[in-house]
Amino acid sequence: MRLLRSLLATVRGLTRRNTIANEIREEMRFHVDMRSEEYLRSGLAPSEARRAAVRRFGNPMVMQDRGYDVRGGGLMETILRDATFACRMLRKHPAFSAVAVLTLALAIGVSTALFSVIDAALIRPVPYPHPEELVTISVSEPRPTQVSRLAPSMNDIRLWRTSTAVFSHIGMGRVAGFSPLIVETNNASQRLTVGSASEDFLEAYGVSPVIGRGFSTDDTREGQPKAALLGYAFWQKEFGGDPGVLGRQIRIQNEATTIVGVLPVGFYDRTVVWEANQWPAAMVDRRGSGTPVIGRLKPGVTAAQAAKLLTDVTPAGSMLARDPVPVRVELDSLYHDETAEYTSTVQTLSYAVGLIVLIACINVSGLLLARGATRHTELAIRASIGAGRGRLVRQMLTESVILAGAGALLGLVLAWLFLDSLVALIPFSLPANSPAQLNVTVLTLSLGLTMVTAVLFGVVPALKLSRVGRNINTILAAGGRSGSAPLSKRGGQMLIAAEVALALVLLAGSGLVLRSFSKLLAVDLGFTTDDVVTVEVEPVAQNSEVRRQYYAALTEAYRALPEVAAVGMLDQLSLGGGHSYSFPQADTGTRIQGPLRTISPGFFEALGVRAIAGRLPEESDVAAADAAIVDVASNDKFFAGGAVGHTLKMPTMAGKTPRFLRIVGVVPNLRLSGPEYRVQPEAYFLPDWSTETLDQGAFSMVVRLRPGVSFSGERFRKVADGVGPKVVIGKIQSLSDIQGERVSTQRNRTLLLSLLGGFGFLLTLVGIFSVTAYAVTRRTREIGVRVAFGATRTHIIGTILGDAVWPVAIGVLVGLAAAYYGTTVLTKFLFETTARDPVTLAAVASVLGIAAVLAAWLPARRAATLNPVTALRAE
Amino acid sequence: MTRTNSDQLHGTLDMLVLKALEAGPLHGYAVAVRLEALSHDVLSVEEGSLYPALYRMERREWLSSTWSVTDTGRRARFYRLTRTGRSQLEAETASWARLTGAVASVLKA
Repeated sequence: MRLLRSLLATVRGLTRRNTIANEIREEMRFHVDMRSEEYLRSGLAPSEARRAAVRRFGNPMVMQDRGYDVRGGGLMETILRDATFACRMLRKHPAFSAVAVLTLALAIGVSTALFSVIDAALIRPVPYPHPEELVTISVSEPRPTQVSRLAPSMNDIRLWRTSTAVFSHIGMGRVAGFSPLIVETNNASQRLTVGSASEDFLEAYGVSPVIGRGFSTDDTREGQPKAALLGYAFWQKEFGGDPGVLGRQIRIQNEATTIVGVLPVGFYDRTVVWEANQWPAAMVDRRGSGTPVIGRLKPGVTAAQAAKLLTDVTPAGSMLARDPVPVRVELDSLYHDETAEYTSTVQTLSYAVGLIVLIACINVSGLLLARGATRHTELAIRASIGAGRGRLVRQMLTESVILAGAGALLGLVLAWLFLDSLVALIPFSLPANSPAQLNVTVLTLSLGLTMVTAVLFGVVPALKLSRVGRNINTILAAGGRSGSAPLSKRGGQMLIAAEVALALVLLAGSGLVLRSFSKLLAVDLGFTTDDVVTVEVEPVAQNSEVRRQYYAALTEAYRALPEVAAVGMLDQLSLGGGHSYSFPQADTGTRIQGPLRTISPGFFEALGVRAIAGRLPEESDVAAADAAIVDVASNDKFFAGGAVGHTLKMPTMAGKTPRFLRIVGVVPNLRLSGPEYRVQPEAYFLPDWSTETLDQGAFSMVVRLRPGVSFSGERFRKVADGVGPKVVIGKIQSLSDIQGERVSTQRNRTLLLSLLGGFGFLLTLVGIFSVTAYAVTRRTREIGVRVAFGATRTHIIGTILGDAVWPVAIGVLVGLAAAYYGTTVLTKFLFETTARDPVTLAAVASVLGIAAVLAAWLPARRAATLNPVTALRAE
Repeated sequence: MTRTNSDQLHGTLDMLVLKALEAGPLHGYAVAVRLEALSHDVLSVEEGSLYPALYRMERREWLSSTWSVTDTGRRARFYRLTRTGRSQLEAETASWARLTGAVASVLKA
């Protein structure tokens, strides 16, 4: 619509322009008529009078032109004329135009994709108004040995509400729970992401239910009926958007929960249900729950003022029952916290894409200079018939803008086609409510970039070439043969050097992430992932006895399958890449500080792990549940290599009988959380169903298949469903898939940076090739003369290559220096690789150097095979 | 080559055109004839350059123009001073007077 309107406006402008032109012509004709009548009266012959009047008036065409320029419409006209001419020039050199447009399309396409990711991740990720007012709040207890930062307690929050006026809303909650919960509606039982909130938490986000009400303080009291809010999408899907859903019940972790409202669309859509947090009375004044506290500052209150006011009213605290110390309240920007994950990655990608854009601009610059050299005659003629330097520059810049525009169009098409696959490679997951897309913001940014590139690559050639005005005569006298005169050889060489330097930095980045990733893949996990399948399954009933019986029966059922070699269990927290901590006390006096994992007999066998000392847990250990296993790291660190036989005292809630475990074996260090995690002292123990707290009671089955048998997820699902109690089955996937997901971020980053590095590499080679090929064309006659005077092929190749080798060498050196300082931005992404890894830098430098020389050698070889007779006749 | 000179010329030409129109609306040719009477040099080379100057001043709203019919019955475009144009003329006349006054006193001294 808008396009149509602007087209119409242009057309109208053109017709208006004709009116103006006619008016000017008529006005000037009147003037000349009047003057010639006067001359006629003074006695001149009619033809003589006319001629004299025109002479006195000046060139009418020139005057009319100057007239347009002032009256408006003239500029538009010039631009259109320039544009038509530019299009004609570009059509006349299809190879040049294709290379230039493709180069630009690549650069602009990649940038557009990046813009859309930046837009999605940083510009519009927040599903709530005024993000600058939102802060996360923590309470710090400074002690001589350490500073603990704790989440404020509910009492803190309620105190701040009544005794200060810094927040318009403040509440505690989590926009997504750590692990999925079982949600039952009339239709289905599912494991879903559930958020939690206190009163005023969603209000702090500025979100209010579309129907029903938010959570009240009563909803958060222990013993009150449980209340839930539905996410919009879940409401539509499970309840068909029925407003009568209010007051109905669903079950979360087998507890009846009343639906009190529905949240608007677009607010953390991955979280399908929100439940009201309920704290036991004893926990209400306990800090350090780990649940974030979010506040919305009143307009005009700064975070620093607020922190001071809050610190003044907040009572001293004592974590872990130590002496109370005065606390400090700290406020951080929520927006900053939420986007921190993206910022560093986006920054790195921006550098890489920026380098590609620069390389592309230099490439096109070189192409324009090269082609411009063959245009000297044309430019000189235009200058001689009155085009000023400004006019020539404008003409050439118009060509640049048209090239950039064509590149941008093609680039946008590329971006549109490949956006999804590129975004899939971005090494982070975008906020659910904010998919990457080509919207107005992105298109505006791309348009801006297109203009910037047009100027970047167009200005230098335009300024250089427009100098023809100074020596029109020489150029025209040479009959267009002296193309080399005003274009210094050094111009092309500087472009080569710059390109090589930029490409080297880019490739060094790609090389480093590749090397880092290969090291990551080479890490020994300590177990084999082949032929291992995991099944996430959990009984709906939140009852220890049901679970104990169910998991035991399921283990037996899987073991009975003919394709199964071994079966064990692992707690779901560990399977998801996390773990629990609870610092068991060893009889040697030390606490074991490291991940604790709950397993069942058969787990190590399923992973193909053998005991290094002692034995693995057996079925006979299950009843007493008092066997523990430690890894080599624990064994070395806490037991001087002799852990077997020692006892561990597990921390328990006050008032319960302490649980003692006997270490029966030592296993190798296992990296269950993925290769990136450093090895830590770990301990494994069996579930104690008599004291087990329910929220850690969900397990995944770990099944080793017999080698070579085919496996059916459906069959495993049926067996898990058929054992007895009602269960919810989550993902059934192979352990190698899970481990693959653990490195997917690094894999994507590596792929993406390699892809970008590859683009830059290719562009650089194309650039060197075209600059050298142009130099060969320019020197055809000179080469012909040399060959005629007896120069050998080797000699010719040497001369041409010599011109390219120096700039490549300089480019490599400058690039190495730049990479030495520049690649440190990658440090935080590298695994066991330093940002200045000499092996990578050396490899990249030699590959690039050799490829660059090869790219120059191809045209050089062509020069050497020139027939001197043809060469002398060239041009 | 002539740009710097013509820039200096613009101001003088503008002032003279405004002066020529002070008495009442004129068409382009009449302005040229009037200027001839006022000064022999300004337009002696290329009369046509009067028109870009007229258009420029019209764009600045010092002048307004309409198509009308001359005494001899021909269609012509007539230019008229606007209020802005009149005050511009006064301002330029004043500053010209100051300048010439200053130059005169220097020469006298």
